[in-house]
Amino acid sequence: MTALKKCSFLLILLALIFPAALSAQSIHIPPHEKVVFKNGLTVLLLEKHGVPIVNFAALVKTGAAADPPGQEGLAAVTAQLLRKGTQKRTAQQFAADSDFTGGSVEADASADFSSVSGEFLTKDLARGLDLFSDALLHPVFPQAEVDKLLAQSLDGVRAAKDEARSVLGTYYDAYLFNGNGYGRTSDGDEISLTKIHRDAIVKFYETYYAPGNIILAVAGDFQTADMKKELEEVFGQWPSKPVTPVKIPVLPAVKGKKLLLVDKPEATQTYFAIGNVATAAGDPDRVAIRVVNTVFGGRFTSLLNEALRVESGLTYGAISAFDPRKAPGPFGIYSYTKNESTVQAIDMALQVLQKLHKQGITADELASAKSYIKGQYPPSLETSKQLAQIIASNEFYGLDDKEINDLEARLDAVTTAIAQQVIQKHFPTDNLVFTLIGKRSDIAAGVQKYAEKQDARVISEPGFWPPPPQK
Amino acid sequence: MKKTWIRLATLAMVCVASFSSAGTPALAQEFPVAERTLKNGMKVLVQSDHSIPNVSLYIFYRIGSRNERPGTTGISHFFEHMMFNGAKKYGPGELDKVMEANGGSNNAYTSQNVTVYQDWFPRSAMPLIFDIEADRIQNLSFDPQKIESERGVVASERRSSVDNDNGGLLDEQLWATAFIAHPYQWPVVGWMSDIEHWTIDDLKRHFAMGYSPSNATMVVVGDVTPEEIFQLCEKTIEPIPSHAPPPPVTTVEPPQLGERRLVVHKPAELPLLMIAYHVPPTNHPDFYAINILRTILFQGESSRMYQRLVDKDQIALDVSSSFEPAFDPTIAIIIAQPKQGIDPVKCETAIYEELQGVKRSTITDQELEKAKNIRLMEFYHQVRTINGRANTIGTYEVFDGDYKKLFEAAKNYAAVTKEDVQRVAKTYFGANNRTVAALLPENEEKAKP
Repeated sequence: MTALKKCSFLLILLALIFPAALSAQSIHIPPHEKVVFKNGLTVLLLEKHGVPIVNFAALVKTGAAADPPGQEGLAAVTAQLLRKGTQKRTAQQFAADSDFTGGSVEADASADFSSVSGEFLTKDLARGLDLFSDALLHPVFPQAEVDKLLAQSLDGVRAAKDEARSVLGTYYDAYLFNGNGYGRTSDGDEISLTKIHRDAIVKFYETYYAPGNIILAVAGDFQTADMKKELEEVFGQWPSKPVTPVKIPVLPAVKGKKLLLVDKPEATQTYFAIGNVATAAGDPDRVAIRVVNTVFGGRFTSLLNEALRVESGLTYGAISAFDPRKAPGPFGIYSYTKNESTVQAIDMALQVLQKLHKQGITADELASAKSYIKGQYPPSLETSKQLAQIIASNEFYGLDDKEINDLEARLDAVTTAIAQQVIQKHFPTDNLVFTLIGKRSDIAAGVQKYAEKQDARVISEPGFWPPPPQK
Repeated sequence: MKKTWIRLATLAMVCVASFSSAGTPALAQEFPVAERTLKNGMKVLVQSDHSIPNVSLYIFYRIGSRNERPGTTGISHFFEHMMFNGAKKYGPGELDKVMEANGGSNNAYTSQNVTVYQDWFPRSAMPLIFDIEADRIQNLSFDPQKIESERGVVASERRSSVDNDNGGLLDEQLWATAFIAHPYQWPVVGWMSDIEHWTIDDLKRHFAMGYSPSNATMVVVGDVTPEEIFQLCEKTIEPIPSHAPPPPVTTVEPPQLGERRLVVHKPAELPLLMIAYHVPPTNHPDFYAINILRTILFQGESSRMYQRLVDKDQIALDVSSSFEPAFDPTIAIIIAQPKQGIDPVKCETAIYEELQGVKRSTITDQELEKAKNIRLMEFYHQVRTINGRANTIGTYEVFDGDYKKLFEAAKNYAAVTKEDVQRVAKTYFGANNRTVAALLPENEEKAKP
């Protein structure tokens, strides 16, 4: 049964999202090859032997940002249905064939892009490639499967709401962006999922799943020349068609302060997020931001975790994170504490933020953070699965291999003065958005002081933010 | 998207991993491990892998919540937290600061059976890590102020993983009902009233009981050579004297004589169902057949339970099973997430019918082969990173008595027959041997009398 750990769940999550890692050794991405097929498909090939596994990662450059208003979840549902029935396999046959190999085909969508991934043992590579390409090229979206998946997704949202920590980020993003841009939930909600129909799914697939709109990364135990030939055979005949890129709205940071309290009447703990709109992927300050955030809230001995957990025992974990995307994404401080200490914990988080602004970071903290990032980085490049995802994502965001190969030099170049500039520019102070999930009757009075503008919802009400229009 | 609850617990145990060995495909299925038993009784296992300049170091202590007593439940886990709160050379807060400043990170987990400490660090930090580990095994300090603040941390952890997590809550109730005598009945995190009342003396007693070097196994995987690790151990760990191991857990859970049922009423969007069956410990020969049975029933969307409950009947969002390593006879758990408004009894009935199916007639050859392929892929998932390999080597060493069992796993799975699978289904998955737990949503208005 239970196993528990010293570090917070959030910290672990952070480590997974932002793999960091060392000292004198150099960090580098293994050599890989890029080919663009005649139909526009971008193919990236990275050989990595040692474990008899091959990983595929197809990144479709259109994601939930293309969901029509009121149909949030469409991109995700489209992706998830790819393996639920193809021209030659029913959903059940697809699952049987895929499971038989011990491998898997998975798909989902975020705001920026849709993704389809496959993982197979080398001995099953031919069968694996057939399955992976079948999902990508020949889905038929059977009505029965559409109905099933939509019903499941709907209950998935409800199940998530049973656990405050699993929806804190969704409420926070929705409130931060006021339901626009990254504030639209890519998984959909209890209302939007009922507005999605098969026609829209088919149209989404036909519009955006086109070779010129896809980056296909393959990493693992194969020979590049052979793989290139096989991919050419499988994907080379996929007809090209023009795709209009979907513009992701660039939303400004919120001015002033606002606070959303989501009532979860049985909660014994308040989950909170505090922050503002921050940076996009490729921001010129990204390495310095990473260093400062490591000191502030990005590791166990961060200023935030030291204050809220280590020194005071108010929480199991406190972190801060930037989530850079195509357009500026959120920055947030995330933590939780028992109902009675809600104000104490939020006050403390704000004090740590103020202190960062006033005092900056010390030379020792700077050196420690650099060493930590370098030391923890190599395990993020360990598996063919990680490598396939990293090269596909770097290609999508327009980041080259220097992103990894020059990381150490870029880290070394960060000074305390640069850190101070980054703090002033990217860490909010006076303009803050608060999102809390907790027991309203216990905490509402205490948290009024944080913002002039106060909003409220009950967790069982459908949707996230803004509330659906009244009939 | 199947969004079901995920327990912290599951995350900790399943936190397997990722890597790339420098070897050939053939090498990856079996890799050389060097072993040495230090004079104080600690066994050290080392596996060299120079593919990244990093090291994963695990120390498994054979002590967990099964070694506790009523009144101080959760003390093993609390003690695990205290192992980061200061010793002689590295005072409160210093361990983490020094480790992170040198590029390392750490964590730990506690289960019913073991307490495991993990360090992940660049090769350059190796001497420091051994210095830290030796310091805390030998000279842990018990600062009353740290004990109080850490008590708050653990209470917060419990609120998150149990009180505000339907899965965690139901799981706790399930174990407490399935076991009436054996210590597996109480939660690893401890009951809240025990968390509030542990004393410094309880902690000291726990340290004296569980933390003899002879009660531990160290596993080091990564950019190291066995010789340098053994030398470091001789210098830092070997001089630490050993003492008596924890007294054996002698309580044996009496056979269950009939079905047990429990209900949790709680405000919730969705109900939840868990069904537990008593099964033997990890080192029992039936372990492999039980896992093959679980694979056929629960793993993948072609599995029998998924096909029945999620795909065909559409009464559940998800159905899965868990069966974690254990020294003593334990339980295998079936977890179903019914859809909104579905009576969990409906899921229960479908589950029993599917179980009846594997008892009535043997599984197919195709299913058996599929299960073996899935297990092979899982093996690679476990060992493809230095971190995953350290955890896996240690888990086999501790729970099966020999890390080499890891390399025999493929053979042991291959030896499982259709009849074995049918036999374990009949032996362990019967009505009298089960405990059924259901969480039933109760909304605010209805709850009022």
